[in-house]
Amino acid sequence: MSTTPVTKDATNGGPADDGPATGTTAAGTTAAAGSGAAGPDGTGPGTPRPVFSVEGLWKVFGPKADRVPGSELAELPAAELRERTGCTAAVRDVSFDVRKGEVFVVMGLSGSGKSTLVRCLTRLIEPTSGTVAIDGEDILAMDKSRLRELRRHRAAMVFQHFGLLPHRTVLDNVAYGLEIQGMGRAERRAKAAEIVTKVGLEGMEDRRPSQLSGGQQQRVGLARALAVDPEVLLFDEPFSALDPLIRRDMQEEVVRLHREEGCTMVFITHDLSEALRLGDRIALMRDGRIVQLGTPEEIVGSPADDYVRDFVRDVPREQVITVRSAMRPPCAGEADSGPAVAPGATVSEAIEAVARTGGPVRVVDAGRCVGVVDHEGLLSVVAGVPLGKAAA
Amino acid sequence: MTTAVTAPVRPRLPAAARRYWPLAAALVLLPLGLLLAGRGSWPASLQVDLSGPLGSASDWIVDNRDSHPLFLYFLGHVSNAVVLSVRGVYLVLLAAGWAGVTAAAGLVAWRLAGPRLAATAVASFAVCGLLGMWVPTMQTLALMVVAVAASVALGAVLGLAAGLSDRTYRALRPVLDTMQVLPAFAYLLPVVLIFGIGVPAAVLATVVYAAPPMARLTALGLRAADPGVLEASASLGATGRQRLLTARIPLARRELLLGVNQSIMMALSMAVIASVIGAGGLGDRVYQALASVDVGAALAAGIPIVLLAVVLDRTATGARSHGTPGRTWAACAAAVLALAVAGRLTGALTWPEAWHVDIAEPVNRAVDWMTAHLYSGVPVVGGTADWAAHFTGWVLDPVRDGLQALPWWALLVVVGALALHVGTWRTALTAVSAMAAIGVLGVWDASLDTLSQVLAAVAVTLVLGFGIAVGAARSSRLERLLRPVLDVFQTMPQFVYLIPVVALFGVGRAPAVAAAVVYALPAVVRITTQGLRGVDPVALESARSLGATGWQQLRQVQFPLARPALLLAVNQAVVLVLAVVIIGGLVGGGALGYDVVFGLAQGDLATGLVAGAAIVCLGLMLDRVTQPTGKEA
Amino acid sequence: MRTRTTAGAAGALALLTALTGCGAADMTKQASPYAAAEGARTVTLSVQSWVGAQANVAVAKYLLEHELGYRVDTVQVDEIPAWDALSQGRVDALLEDWGHPEQEQRYITEKKTIARGGNLGVTGHIGWFVPTYFAEKHPDVTDWKNLDKYADQLRTAESGGKGQLLDGSPSYITNDKALVKNLDLDYKVVFAGSEAAQITQIKQFAKEKKPFLTYWYKPQWLFEKVPMTEVKLPPYKEGCDADPEKVACAYPHTPLQKFLNADFAKKGGKAAAFLKNFRWTTEAQNDVALMIAEQKLTPEAAAEKWVEANEATWRKWLP
Repeated sequence: MSTTPVTKDATNGGPADDGPATGTTAAGTTAAAGSGAAGPDGTGPGTPRPVFSVEGLWKVFGPKADRVPGSELAELPAAELRERTGCTAAVRDVSFDVRKGEVFVVMGLSGSGKSTLVRCLTRLIEPTSGTVAIDGEDILAMDKSRLRELRRHRAAMVFQHFGLLPHRTVLDNVAYGLEIQGMGRAERRAKAAEIVTKVGLEGMEDRRPSQLSGGQQQRVGLARALAVDPEVLLFDEPFSALDPLIRRDMQEEVVRLHREEGCTMVFITHDLSEALRLGDRIALMRDGRIVQLGTPEEIVGSPADDYVRDFVRDVPREQVITVRSAMRPPCAGEADSGPAVAPGATVSEAIEAVARTGGPVRVVDAGRCVGVVDHEGLLSVVAGVPLGKAAA
Repeated sequence: MTTAVTAPVRPRLPAAARRYWPLAAALVLLPLGLLLAGRGSWPASLQVDLSGPLGSASDWIVDNRDSHPLFLYFLGHVSNAVVLSVRGVYLVLLAAGWAGVTAAAGLVAWRLAGPRLAATAVASFAVCGLLGMWVPTMQTLALMVVAVAASVALGAVLGLAAGLSDRTYRALRPVLDTMQVLPAFAYLLPVVLIFGIGVPAAVLATVVYAAPPMARLTALGLRAADPGVLEASASLGATGRQRLLTARIPLARRELLLGVNQSIMMALSMAVIASVIGAGGLGDRVYQALASVDVGAALAAGIPIVLLAVVLDRTATGARSHGTPGRTWAACAAAVLALAVAGRLTGALTWPEAWHVDIAEPVNRAVDWMTAHLYSGVPVVGGTADWAAHFTGWVLDPVRDGLQALPWWALLVVVGALALHVGTWRTALTAVSAMAAIGVLGVWDASLDTLSQVLAAVAVTLVLGFGIAVGAARSSRLERLLRPVLDVFQTMPQFVYLIPVVALFGVGRAPAVAAAVVYALPAVVRITTQGLRGVDPVALESARSLGATGWQQLRQVQFPLARPALLLAVNQAVVLVLAVVIIGGLVGGGALGYDVVFGLAQGDLATGLVAGAAIVCLGLMLDRVTQPTGKEA
Repeated sequence: MRTRTTAGAAGALALLTALTGCGAADMTKQASPYAAAEGARTVTLSVQSWVGAQANVAVAKYLLEHELGYRVDTVQVDEIPAWDALSQGRVDALLEDWGHPEQEQRYITEKKTIARGGNLGVTGHIGWFVPTYFAEKHPDVTDWKNLDKYADQLRTAESGGKGQLLDGSPSYITNDKALVKNLDLDYKVVFAGSEAAQITQIKQFAKEKKPFLTYWYKPQWLFEKVPMTEVKLPPYKEGCDADPEKVACAYPHTPLQKFLNADFAKKGGKAAAFLKNFRWTTEAQNDVALMIAEQKLTPEAAAEKWVEANEATWRKWLP
């Protein structure tokens, strides 16, 4: 299954992979250079105005938290900061943009600050400093009613532990957001019924959450968020509590929704394969900072530091990296004929083509041959060895 | 060989030493102190005599009750509102007639808790009528309705405040915790002081007594709400009020219902005790029957109390999770109205006298027979009178004399050490200050007399209770047989068994202890049985698979694993025994219990209040030294 | 939202004030909520815990209900709280009082909220008693000077090494502790805590023909069941019991009094007049008390029985 990237950004490779991350190991050597390194915040030129724009965001928990950002304390490691001030910095100087229509994944291990970060976006947790804007409007400057307006209509959230009301039926849970908006009973129930069908829960409208499986409960959570027609959907590790097979189903559900509705999503996860599968772009967090921000291919293909490298070591690279990273300039005669793949195709697709033909395969972009992949190039990607060294 | 055995023990020693050092220190300090300072009661120089100020305060209130603005413009209205609402409910109940009330009870029980309870409710009200107790039952019910409504409202408001604000919670929690430990009688005196004898005082005492559990449980329920749900609600843009109404309160539903239930039960027990200050109703009938030493009549008034308790309790706990549609309620209301009108037309508003059944006489004959055959001269085991004499001579006297012979400061040290042993230094501080307060109030010796009775009663209760509980935990049949008996003893007003207790054990401290044991036993049996039953079956099975005998299983698996329940049982035994101290005063227990009764009877509020305060302090102290908080929690 | 809550609270308060009648509310003028239900004229009588008082009230209640058409409520209150209740109008009448000079001073002379209702016709007397079967065997026990001789026989577990003097309800007037001390007797006062407990204990002793010494009072129905003989204490002289610490004399003979709420005495109509006229004898009261306590008749049934047999007596009380 693969999705077409919705963004028009040329540097974006679509997440196109299949199957769980298995087997392949790659030594943690320096990766081959990816295509054009993205800027620190991942924005390229010519991007439409971002939905969310986050600048220098800090969240520090503890007494007198606001003295930490911007002072020399800001540079201290977590343990020392805690010892000196009693504070914990959950989010440290984070900046990024979320573009319209993309799936923006924030990934990190537990304690990396990613759940705090997503809550700062709608001020479920009040940020300590920095700016957060939605469609150019400063969220931190909003008053209570404006903020409620934001939460009611513009950004809806799906939670790890569902957060369903146990005393209400599925239908009333889905309609809950609409009820809070003040919509009439008949109208909101009609709308909710529509959404319930959309997420595949028809026939369960009158059950209570306790009578549903985990996956079904999360469908209710998803439906509740969808019901308010938000501009942005925020997912906080929505599938971590689910069994692996159910998780697969739900991920596909999200991909389908994204394709059909085209809404922007911010997706928090600690599961790398989930991040790679869903994300148009991934921000990898560690100790409150973003250590790398880029497309899945950039993260896997050119890790920014050892931490990231270690992180992506077990990823089946051939399913993430595109032939763009594996190709070499065509030798004479190679550019004209023979089988062809698109530059966005994954290495594993190219391997299939190369294996079938037995020789190099052309990479054709808009009818023009931009390069050639052969055994060596593809193998070096799979092995995680730099292209030049393998060729030499 | 010996080293091999002792070696693994050694590393554990420091921990054990840490745990027991307060006790050890006390053991060392005590003889030392005895040598140096000798024996002695609380020194008079450290006492504060409150009888003067309390007496004049009481006089001032009596003199100004009809003229001072505080009474005219505030307390007067409170009192008036109580009178009006009780009267309103009472008139409605009377107007509905017995047919209407019984039908209403049955229908409400049916809608809330199913047909079986409906049958029980109807039967219960019919029995109230049969016993000739219809009007007193309605009076108690009217008082209850008002008191429960007020305590639920008050408790819910306090609980909301404490549930939503951390600061309020921190301020309120110790107060509520303490109020739960206090014996019901302790609430009567201050209320009487202000409102005088009568229904307003009774209702207010009941409200003060019954509101804390509601407040506690409301706060607990609101605070325990799943934070995930609340966050989800906030993420959808709910306002504070929307979040409260759609998420917090519905999520706390279980605790709220439990709170209502607890309030009802406590209000009922208080409504009976409040007959001492003129509450009227069933409690008053029990109290009047006592004057003519008529156990049968007391029982006839006691049975409706038990039945009311059972019906109200089951209805409140049985309330189903989803509501009944309004239409059904309307139909029920119509049915009740029709029955009430029918009752009115046939002219039978109160229960017809021809249908009364007199149980007093057979009961009295049975009690007489029992006492006549058990009091003395029973071969081999001796009569109950001999038991009482021996118990007094061999247990109560030595304990009391021992406590009173201890120097006052030594007792404080012992209390402090015990409290430190089970809790934190704060626990110890509370316990020691409570004990010291008793000395300051000038009732040191009387309090130690009461303490000796309480300790003896707790010991007997625990021995009996654990024994019965072990049996009940083993045999389901025994447990089933016990359940209704425990129900009855727990809800039966203590007044009822005053006379049988005296008839069996004579007048004195022994019957006081017996009354306390009877009252505290059911709770202890219940908690212990549940604890023993709740023991992980896998642990038991593995013990059996190793060939453990029944006794080994009990000693090595069940008791250690059920330890929290056993500790709770000890704590409850202490609290409940203390609640009956004043009843003990009515059968010759003397000491603090008698002082409180004396204060109430003679209108001598100084004596009564001081003794009541001393009981409260004893309760606080005992609760703290038996409640494993802090360290272990 | 806060303003709305405050406004709500203010509204509720205003409503409450309006409901309870504007302005001042004198709680001392509030009647029992159970009074006058069903539209009947109601009289509320206070019953003290002893059976003699129950007998008075039972007969008064029966006559008020059957001859004068009132509805009667009874409230069980101890003596001194009953004065307070009487003053507040929660109780209309107190039919048997054993003498409380301090309360009379406060409520009748100073506050004028209670009015005298005249003699009950019964004379009360408190004293120390031993069972007659014991007095017959040891005639000298009836003089207090010889009591110490019998202290050994009167010992119980509660009295420790001394003889036991059994006292009763804390609501009763008693000088016994001071008496034992001032007469230097080898006795200990043991408080039974309630009359019920005391009676039960006395009957239990009597059943076994055991000796006992008890505080008791006349008229009391128990004398019919357990004959008792009074122990002579130093004779009563006017004022010898003035200082409760130094009392060393017997208890006086007290003509028992009735008291009415002042308002009720004025506006109580026939009921008040009837209660003022109510006056019977020690024997009559004992008859009714015995029917209640020993034959276990309900107070109503006992009153009915007495009323049927003594029409001549009660006719005179009706206004």
